[in-house]
Order: sequence, then structure tokens, then C-alpha cells
Amino acid sequence: MNALSPTLPDGDDIVIRVRGLVNRFGKQVIHDHLDLDVRRGEIIGIVGGSGSGKSVLMRAIIGLLTPAEGEIGIFGQDARTADATTAKELRRRWGVLFQEGALFSSLTVAENIEVPMREFLHLPEPLMAELAGYKIAMVGLPAEAGPKYPSELSGGMKKRAGLARALSLDPQLLFLDEPTSGLDPISAAAFDELIKVLKQTLGLTVFLITHDLDTLHAICDRVAVIGDKKVLAVGTIAELLLFDHPWVQEYFAGPRGRAARPGAPKAVEAA
Amino acid sequence: MVAASFEQLTGPGTVQRLAVSGPLTIAHIADVVEPLRAIAPTGSALVIDLAGIDSIDTTGAWIIHRLMATWSAAGVPATVENASEDARRLIAEVTSNDIEVALRPLAGNPVTARLSRIGAAVVAMSDNIGSFLGFLGQTMVVLLQTLAGRRPLRWNAVIHQCENIGVNALGIVGLLLFLVGIVVAQQGAVQLRAFGGEVFVVNLIGRSVMRELGILLTAIMVAGRSASAFAAQIGSMKLNQEVDALATIGMSPIEVLVVPRVLAMALMLLLLGFYGAVMAIIGGGLFCWLSLGIPPVTFVQRLQEVTPLSDMIIGLIKAPVFGIIIAMMGCFQGMQVSGNAESVGTRTTRAVVESIFVVIVLDAFFAVFFSALGYN
Repeated sequence: MNALSPTLPDGDDIVIRVRGLVNRFGKQVIHDHLDLDVRRGEIIGIVGGSGSGKSVLMRAIIGLLTPAEGEIGIFGQDARTADATTAKELRRRWGVLFQEGALFSSLTVAENIEVPMREFLHLPEPLMAELAGYKIAMVGLPAEAGPKYPSELSGGMKKRAGLARALSLDPQLLFLDEPTSGLDPISAAAFDELIKVLKQTLGLTVFLITHDLDTLHAICDRVAVIGDKKVLAVGTIAELLLFDHPWVQEYFAGPRGRAARPGAPKAVEAA
Repeated sequence: MVAASFEQLTGPGTVQRLAVSGPLTIAHIADVVEPLRAIAPTGSALVIDLAGIDSIDTTGAWIIHRLMATWSAAGVPATVENASEDARRLIAEVTSNDIEVALRPLAGNPVTARLSRIGAAVVAMSDNIGSFLGFLGQTMVVLLQTLAGRRPLRWNAVIHQCENIGVNALGIVGLLLFLVGIVVAQQGAVQLRAFGGEVFVVNLIGRSVMRELGILLTAIMVAGRSASAFAAQIGSMKLNQEVDALATIGMSPIEVLVVPRVLAMALMLLLLGFYGAVMAIIGGGLFCWLSLGIPPVTFVQRLQEVTPLSDMIIGLIKAPVFGIIIAMMGCFQGMQVSGNAESVGTRTTRAVVESIFVVIVLDAFFAVFFSALGYN
């Protein structure tokens, strides 16, 4: 077992364990016996070319998609084979932020955040409102965002609101699908910072799909590279730079990869 | 099942102590939140002892923080004791984010709120009428330019729409009108039998179907099928910025999207209306033959005698007018889509409801108009 292996030794505290995952759509095979381990309390970045199956992996893990073969364990349980109550309990322990926020468009931001609380818990109405207000403040939305509808929000605000909904039940595990795509660099950096702070204060484990090299450098503890229908390698960026695979080299050592490295001279100055 | 709980102690002196224990997380917070908040601040200080809690999340931290804030505001300084590293961190985190956040829209005075909603609805309605008139004018200009040959007519689009609106509707329109023909004949026969005038069923079918029912029912059917489709198609193109893309490339959305649909609809409704009337007559004729014993030859002969040509012409004059209105209503509602997917649904519904409404109003207008002209 080498250092960049997608699987971790058994002794580690593993939150997500994927073994031999096979996903196919018709004849097209997306994942072919893919393995991956995610440690408790880490931010793992998932990278890979377009169409390499990053989002499919996430959908398989959160149970939106039934894989053809393989095992997926979250907190040591398989959501698909568990009985309905356990599966529901399990779902409470994670939050998902979809690419465009996926806010319910007919509900206000505050109501969106209250949806999981209403579904799973019996909390008094004023307490739910209070907690929704706190979540709004926590994700850095402006104080007047609560009564607004998703259509009145900007892209960055939608993502923050989506994050607030994902965090509504204080999950231990957070799935983020391209959280910074479509954001301006300042908002993207602020969002990265927010995730980092939340991870530190709430002790979250974060499964982060991204194309954003800056995000990878800024907040990811480890990065998993998906390619050739498997997880090619998992490691820190420094370790991956030494990994001899054309795509990985191109990705991290290419011009954008170099520019994103902390302390790298910005590309503009070279010209 | 473990539950969160707390114990209230006093002392030393008048210092109040609250020893909280159990899981202080969102799932269990309901156990303690109300009793905790019910305690009125008293004494010289409050100490919250967190030694007994086994877990805490932001919700638990929030409750502790709010409790301290309430007591402090009442003049009783509050502190936590024996808090774990996690608990301290979370309490610090929630404290930094305790700001006044608006959650619900301001309700205001119910009377003025009601009035303002009525006002907004009236303004929206007049806006809607205004923008429809604008749209109508724009479409007319482009349509006339197209007919005058100053703009290209997109034949492919027209033919494609003709297939969707007309050919694909043949089955449902035919069946509907065929059944209506039978119903009219059957109900008419029952009433006319009382006067021994069953043979007048032919008049009833021929005139009512040719002049009114054939085209009206076809138009309603097509409005349900195609006005909704237009609104949904153009609406989703609008959401997807495809309409903007067309305009940017220099293609007029009216020319590309609206005019082919309007022309195709006008033509197809003319043909479908005639086809529908024929199907209704076939239905009625079949009933007359099988149930009243009027053979088809006699039925057709009599039909020729009693149904004036003007009935058919009146029916067919209305068809393209209805078609243009239905297509424009559908396209207009599609163009009005903005914001989110929900608005596509709302606009689609409005396209159907409003186009059927306008068709019936126009039909009534035509009926009065042609009667006044002496075509009875």
C-alpha cells in the first residue's frame, strides 16, 4: 500500500468508506471498482476532468443513485441496506450543498433553512426561527436575507443560503458540489474561508468537489484525483505533484496549477 | 433514550447554578429549552455548569449563549463553567454571529396590507394588458413585414409547428368532436321526439356544429394543447437565456419564435376546425342512422338542404382569428416568464385559461355580429 493509495489503514477513523464501486449508465461505465476512504474531520477535495464522474460519485454516496456494484459505508453503515429508520437517521447526519444551491424556489431563505428542522424534529416555532436566523448569520448572509425568495438572491448568496440549509441540522458530514464555481474570486475566497472556519469550529468532515485550484490549495487537507474510472491517487497537493500521471501532472503543474500555488508569482507579471 | 436535562441550584450566597447534562444537540434540545428559558433571572450571578453534557452542537451552544445573554441583560452576570474545548469554541462561534436577522416579511397593518395587495393586483393587471398590447403590436408589425416579403419566413419552423399543432392533434380533436356530434344528436332527438320532429336533428347537428361547436371546441382543445406548449417552450428558452442569445445574434425572437407559431396556428385551426365539424357530423349521422333510422344518403341530402353555406363560412372565418389569438396568448405568456421555473408553470396556466376565455368572448362577439348582419 503506497502513500497515495485511495484506501486508508483500518485503524483510522473513517467516515466514508467506498469499496469496489461500479456505476454505469447503459453501456457507459463511469466507475470501475472505485475505492475511497474519507477520514473524520478532514476536508477532502475531489478533482477530475469533466465527465470523470465526480458528481456521480457524490450522488452514489448520498444515495441519490443506486450503484451497480460495490459497498458504500457512511459512519460505518450502508445507507442502502439499512432499514428505513436507520437510513433516515443517517441522512440527518449529513448536509448537501448542490451546485446552484437547489433552494426551494417557493420558500424564503428562512423557510428553506427550517425545512429539515420541520421534517426531522419537533421544535417550537420561535426556536426554529431563532436557529434559522443564527444559520443565516453564520454563513455570512446579510441580515435582511431571511424573508427573501431564492430568485431575489445573487449566485453567491444562493450558495450561502444552500449551505445554511445543509447545516440546518448540525451535520457532521458536509457534501459540497463545486461550491465556488460561478463566484467572483473575492466571494470564492470568502466562501473557502467560511468552509474552513466552519470545519474548524463545528468539526465537520467535508467532501468537496471542485475545479477551483485555489480552493484546493486553500482548504483541502487531502485531494483525491478521479480518472480512468477509479480514484487514481489521494494525498496532499505536494504529494500529488510527485505523482507520475499525465493528467495529474498537467492539472497541478500546468500554468493554472502553478499560478494557484501559495507564494507563486502571478501569471501577469511573467508577461 | 438519553435526554438533556438540567438542575437548578442556589449558592454559595445568591449565586444561581444551572447544571446542564445530557446531549445538548438539536435533536434533544426541545427537552430543555422551554424550562430553561422559563427561569426568571434572579440572584447576584449565574453559573452554567456544563460538566455533565456529553455532546454539544451549534444549537446547544446557541441556547447556552442566549441564556447568558438574557440573564446578563437582566443585570445578572452569567458565566459557563467546566465547558469542554468544543463547547467553548462553539459558544464563541455562536456569540460572534448573534445579530438581528429579518426572517419573515413585515406583515404590517392587515387593512393596508390587503389594500396594497388589491392595488398591486390591479397595477399588475393593467401592466399585463399594456404589455400584451405592446406584444400584439410588435407581432403584427413583424407579421405584416413577413407577409410583405421584407422579412424571411421560416418555413421549416412553420411546417414543424403545423405538425405539432395540427397533425398531432387529429386524433384527439377528431374523437372529441365525433363524440360531441353523437351527444348533440342524441339529446336533440330526445327533445324533438316530443314534437314528432326527430328529422330536425339533422338541422340541429348541421347548423350548430358548422357554425359554432365545431370551431369552438376545436379551438378550446388546441388552446389546451398548444397554447400551454408555446408558453412552456418559450418560457424555458427565456429562463435559459436562449431568447437573449437569439436577440444578440441579431435574430428577432418575434420573427423566429412567434411568427411561425402564429401562422401555423392560424392555418391549422382553420383546417382542424373544418375537420372537427366533419367528424361531429359523422358522429351525428351515425347516431341518426343507427338509432333514428335515417340512412346516410338521406342525412347528407337533408344536410345540404338545411345548412346554408354561410354557416360554414362563418365557422371558418372565426378559425384563423381564434388561432392567432391562441398562439399570441401562448407566446406572450412564454415571453413574460422570468426568475424561476415556478413562473413557467404559472404562465403556462395563464396562457391556457386566458386564451380559452378570450376565444369564448370573441365567439360571443362573432355570434352577435353575424346575427346583426342578418345571417341567421
